[in-house]
Amino acid sequence: MSKSQDELFRVVEYSAEAAERIGYSDYSYWKSVFQNFLKKKSAVVMTCIFFGLVIFSFVALMIGKFDYQHLVSESSLAFTAPNSEFWFGTDNLGRDYWCQVWYAAQVSIKLALIVAAGECILGVTIGCIWGYVRSMDRILTEVYNVINNIPMIIYMTLIALVVGQSFRNMAVSMICIGWLTMARNVRNLVLMYRDREYNLASRCLGTPVWRVLVKNIFPYLISVVILRLALSIPQTIALESTLSYLGLGLDINTPSLGILLRNARNYFLNYPYLLLFPAVIVSMITVTFYLVGNAFSDAADPRNHV
Amino acid sequence: MAKYTVKRLLQSLVTVLVIATIVFLLMRMLPTDYYFTEDQVMKLTEEQKNDQLMAAGMLDPIGEQLLRFYGQIIRLDFGTSRRIQNGQPVVAVIGSKFTVSMRMGLISMAFSLVLGVALGILQTRNKDHLLDHVGAGYTILVNAVPSLVSYSLVLVVGSKVFGLPSLYSTRNVGESSILPIICISLSSVAYYALWTRRYMVDELNKDYIKLARIKGMATKDIMVKHVLKNAFVPLIQYIPTSLLLTISGSLLAERFFSVPGMGPLLTDAITRYDLNVVQTLVILYASLGIIGVFLGDVAMMILDPRIKLVDKGGTR
Amino acid sequence: MRKKAAKVAALALAAAMVLSACGGGSSSSGSGDGGASGGAASGSENAGSGDNASSSGVGEASHAITDLVTYESQNNEQEGFLMQNTEKSADLNVLCNVYSPLLEVNNKGQLVPAVATEWGTDDGGLTWTFKLRDDVKWVDYNGNVMADCTAQDWITGLEWVMNFHKNGSNNTSMPSALIAGADDYLQYTKGLSPEEAMSMDNTKFLEMVGIEAPDDYTLIYHCTQNAPYFDTVCTSACLYPLSQALVDTLGVENMVGMTNEQMWCNGAYIEKEYINSNSKTLVPNPEYWDKDAQRFDSVTIRITDATQAYQLFENGEIDHVSLDESTLRAIYDDEGHKYHNNLAEMRPRKYSYQMHLNYSKNNEDGTPDDNWNKAVANEAFRLAWYYGLDLTDYWARYNFIYPLHCENLAYTMKGLLYFSDGTDYADRVVEKLGVPASDGETPRRLNQELFEKYKAQAMEELAAEGVTFPVEADAYIAANSQTALDTYNVLKQIFSESLGDDFVTLNIGTYVSSLSQEVIVPRKQSFQINGWGADYGDPANFVDQERYGYDGAYYAKNYSNINDATDEDLIATYKEFSEMAEKAGEICDDMDARYDAYVDAEVFMLQHALVIPCYYDVSWELTKINDYTKMYAMYGAQNYTYKNWETSVDAYTTEQYDAFKAAAGE
Repeated sequence: MSKSQDELFRVVEYSAEAAERIGYSDYSYWKSVFQNFLKKKSAVVMTCIFFGLVIFSFVALMIGKFDYQHLVSESSLAFTAPNSEFWFGTDNLGRDYWCQVWYAAQVSIKLALIVAAGECILGVTIGCIWGYVRSMDRILTEVYNVINNIPMIIYMTLIALVVGQSFRNMAVSMICIGWLTMARNVRNLVLMYRDREYNLASRCLGTPVWRVLVKNIFPYLISVVILRLALSIPQTIALESTLSYLGLGLDINTPSLGILLRNARNYFLNYPYLLLFPAVIVSMITVTFYLVGNAFSDAADPRNHV
Repeated sequence: MAKYTVKRLLQSLVTVLVIATIVFLLMRMLPTDYYFTEDQVMKLTEEQKNDQLMAAGMLDPIGEQLLRFYGQIIRLDFGTSRRIQNGQPVVAVIGSKFTVSMRMGLISMAFSLVLGVALGILQTRNKDHLLDHVGAGYTILVNAVPSLVSYSLVLVVGSKVFGLPSLYSTRNVGESSILPIICISLSSVAYYALWTRRYMVDELNKDYIKLARIKGMATKDIMVKHVLKNAFVPLIQYIPTSLLLTISGSLLAERFFSVPGMGPLLTDAITRYDLNVVQTLVILYASLGIIGVFLGDVAMMILDPRIKLVDKGGTR
Repeated sequence: MRKKAAKVAALALAAAMVLSACGGGSSSSGSGDGGASGGAASGSENAGSGDNASSSGVGEASHAITDLVTYESQNNEQEGFLMQNTEKSADLNVLCNVYSPLLEVNNKGQLVPAVATEWGTDDGGLTWTFKLRDDVKWVDYNGNVMADCTAQDWITGLEWVMNFHKNGSNNTSMPSALIAGADDYLQYTKGLSPEEAMSMDNTKFLEMVGIEAPDDYTLIYHCTQNAPYFDTVCTSACLYPLSQALVDTLGVENMVGMTNEQMWCNGAYIEKEYINSNSKTLVPNPEYWDKDAQRFDSVTIRITDATQAYQLFENGEIDHVSLDESTLRAIYDDEGHKYHNNLAEMRPRKYSYQMHLNYSKNNEDGTPDDNWNKAVANEAFRLAWYYGLDLTDYWARYNFIYPLHCENLAYTMKGLLYFSDGTDYADRVVEKLGVPASDGETPRRLNQELFEKYKAQAMEELAAEGVTFPVEADAYIAANSQTALDTYNVLKQIFSESLGDDFVTLNIGTYVSSLSQEVIVPRKQSFQINGWGADYGDPANFVDQERYGYDGAYYAKNYSNINDATDEDLIATYKEFSEMAEKAGEICDDMDARYDAYVDAEVFMLQHALVIPCYYDVSWELTKINDYTKMYAMYGAQNYTYKNWETSVDAYTTEQYDAFKAAAGE
């Protein structure tokens, strides 16, 4: 406001847009979010580590001595402990574990991120419609009830049997089921805020629905959405390993951290490093998203901005 | 309220029927060969297969099969199992299993509610201090390590260090239930702690709490009378569902410890194409799920009188 | 607040205790496993008795396990209690303890009397007469005598099997082929309405089918053909008895769904407890006819995830465990491991594993895979595989210590049949194949020179036919089996190293729940490795599975799809082999001549690599059970009968097992 004092008065033409900006301040929601977020040192550090991890997984595959696609099993090398030749040791068939771990890490991170993003987009969109548009409430509630009450294992089995197993199928089917929780959370929040007085006022003044949703309600959702996302990432990894255990997971040529962990459980008493390496990476991913999710969700709560 | 209840239950009935129909149709999408065992598929001729399918009514038009299926549901006749326990009524198969799962589920839930909520409260009270971080660490760890691995660890530690039996045994239910219950509780403790903390922290930021503080109310009272109670409203919603669905058991934990419960039943029934079992289970779970949601709404309404079910309709 | 919280916690705890206690009953009985607590008798103390063990067997009660605990994996859970109604080994392995057959086998695989004391045929196997014991009783779940077991019960049993509406054509293949009129009866009942068929008694059956009981303790079967091996069929589920009195008590419609508490037993044990996907408990049948048989006070069969079995054995919760490759390796490589001296090599399982080539393969999309089909029809191509594949690493997946013990050169299982001079049928096959004697290091069939010759020939001939190299071969494994994936990764490497990447590449695919439904029926596989276990003691049971244009040829029809092959040379070879097999089957009077003729047919088949022998299943275990005292038959349903088993409270040592093996002459 101090700037305006330096300017000279002059007559301006009427502009509807300018009229809207009567109470204008340079408060920007997202700017505040990031400012608050950056104050959390631990979260910032973890974010850096996570990006470091992702970048390193590519580097690791390049500098590794073995290529994942051309791994050979050599029974005499089975269960070699980590050494200068095999940085992470070898698995039960004598194959280099380093490249398996990093390749699997890439696959898992990719899957988790795609699923999280998909869940988020689908869940928030449907959740907003569900909560805001009264006429859709009944239908969507029923759809939700039906989908949510059919056990996931039925979908997964049918998809694996009828469509086949692949990375894409896995991602799509996990999104198709994962959006439900997100949508319900969003819908409940939207229901809470849609009839607040300021929204009523906005609507009376003719603000379009999308604007009410995006500008007035969305900021309240961010916190929950982010937290949900942070939890969904480790869940995706865990779910994927359970599905692999049942034979409904990724196709065999795509290793994932879940699969490595699943296999390692048979050997970890004798060869703990087989469990350790993938477990550390999974933990790092999870910890990152948990801390970042919490910090971001705190930062995203507009009530913390003042 | 009574009218609302009846209306809502009737609606639920329709939902269950829709679910049953969808599952019925989904399962029929599989080729009829899945009706037979591995050996039968190879050894029987097409003619023999047709004879058996015909005798089982699998070759009738889908509409006719569906009508027959509805007829059975109405008569509450869920048929007999084909593969899980050959020739046994599905109700008997489930009957022998659900008590086991439910008992374990309830114990584990009691534990995790008490432990989880307590942990959540402690975390909130010590926000950003050591205890909070310990709790967060636990939550992260449980979520980070896939359950297959954490169960293996529990199994090894439990049986090697504490000498607990690693297989469920009906002769020694108490002791042999300990490890599976721990496994089931691992993640739910974390779940309750996480959300208790989350909702309580949210609540703490509200204006009325600030007012209460200014008024000079003791922190203890604020915590119990205002924060916990209000934070519990969103939590309580899910508790009836969790309670009812303890019946479904835990797939992995029960597989792991050979608990004769409901957990692996659905998966087994699907892969063995035991249709009657699949359909009955789906109907059972769906009904319980829907009833649970309804009870959750009621519980929420009791705890927070501002929430009205009747005029909004269909809130969850 | 703290007080309140404590109260809540205490309440919850108390509730938990009550809940767990009311389900539990007493927790005193200690997991029902007598083995672990048995005491400190050291392995060396038992070692001396190893030599005479296989003959004496009994006298060591004080060192033996009284309550046996064994295990099965989850997908091997028992599904039913009616022997006639099941063909699944998961069921039969339990039920063989509960029902007694006419004949049993001993630990050498020879037929011995069971309910039938005398048996024989006077007309070259057309009519078979069995004299039965008169002291066999049916008892109920509590051990009360319910009825006498007579020849009528075998008639009821067979009627049940052959009645389509009662039994849904389970177990019908052998009686249909061997017993006069049985197949007609099956077709006849199929034509009836379910109600009519379910209410059938034995009158019509006795009219139509060649089975009769002149008195209560004599049973006569009439065969469709000269079947000198018919007595071996008596060990199979299709010729087990079924109590008519029980059928009358429970009602025909409730028989398939009967529970362990409703069933009647005439076998060594009563199935006292059945908890689906947890455990089964057998207790001795007090009225069992074989009073001398040594039995356990109880046998508990636990269901568990196979990957955990080793841990359970370590905790003393089970009495034997088969070892997977990695565990075996860990124990074997570690000199100081507590089980290092307890590794025991198992006897071969009864299956002979073969690589069945698919002569009419389809692509994923259902169109014929011409490239593969042309290649595999070429004899030089197949022979290159036959001589070139060095399967040592593959066998090492099963038997890491002695891979060559898994080497399988013949088609028929060894130990199944013997010539009158005592020569093993399978040995005769190997002899006629002319492979060099074993040097203890390299597989006997491997022949680099011949491989290179055939490879060059195949590549030349096939290139002319427009086949592109490398030929892609597809093999399928279960999607949830890491073990299978590891094994096939090894196999893939064997293909690459033995045959060369320019010649053949192996692709590994997966199926979700059913091999046959997802792979074999749509014909997506290039080859499938399966093991065949004999149904009865005759080479026909093996060799006939590969015959061309023969309905009963299980593998040729379903896996090799030879009847849909188009290559004329291939068909001619197959036809020649089939004729040889058919002629061999016609010899009924002289068993040696019959076997010789079959050997020739088998050798012809192998020399043209129509099928490629793969391996025997010989793996390793840690065990407190002397496997050499178990029934050990290559056919029938009885190997899991817990009768006359010799056990030790401590795991047997490797030396003891070697001694058992030497004593058994293997």
